[in-house]
Amino acid sequence: MAPLQDIIEGKIDFIGQKRVDSISRIWLAASTVVSFVVGFALQSLRATMGTFALSTLLLFVMAVPPWPVYNRHPVEWRK
Amino acid sequence: MHSALARINNVSSLFSTCLMVLLAAVALSSLFATADPKGKIDVVSLKVYNAKAKRYPFKEQEFGFVKFDIDADLSPLFHWNTKQLFVYLEAEYANTQGVNNTIVLWDRIVRRKEDAHVVVASGRNKYKLKELYESFKNTSPATFSLKYNMMPYVGLLMYGEAARTEGHEIPEARDAIA
Repeated sequence: MAPLQDIIEGKIDFIGQKRVDSISRIWLAASTVVSFVVGFALQSLRATMGTFALSTLLLFVMAVPPWPVYNRHPVEWRK
Repeated sequence: MHSALARINNVSSLFSTCLMVLLAAVALSSLFATADPKGKIDVVSLKVYNAKAKRYPFKEQEFGFVKFDIDADLSPLFHWNTKQLFVYLEAEYANTQGVNNTIVLWDRIVRRKEDAHVVVASGRNKYKLKELYESFKNTSPATFSLKYNMMPYVGLLMYGEAARTEGHEIPEARDAIA
């Protein structure tokens, strides 16, 4: 039971948390601007919404699972 | 942000904020699209007949019959945020009581840019042209106008007028031939 709980909980370390936070902020702000520009250039609202939805899905894949990159700085407890 | 659930929460809340900003930007951008296409209407004939009023078997009332040509290219109104156009022909006149009446005689819904060049040759009014006071006697001349309502995917409805005719004298009522 415990390994399953660990997978679902998906803990990451403090530096990883800071990283996920800044990645999701920058990514979403940038994809908002990009999808507006793409839709305006192609004159299609479908393109805007498609770009925005795809980039958000990609962000979920990047940010939600506890990738090893976010666990490189484990807290060292005093022995 | 320590657990997967917290990260889902954080990302999706930021996502909904960004979505609102994106939609607001789209709605604002379409306010700057100020296409004002013009077309023309010709009223070929305008006749008034006495006829039985519906639902009142012994009441007679005057009905107007309009025949018109429309040629208006409304395709400039189609941009990325245009869902559809509601195009309608209106008759305007002042009745004997001095009340300005506008009556929608004909309409069409345009869903695609390819269909936006509205051409109607000898069209007839789809909806009844009748006076509340049952007679067009002594009313002012009627002007006909082609108007449109642009419906966007996101944002505000836009109204406009594509064409307007001179005043047409509404003729005396004639008795319909049986």
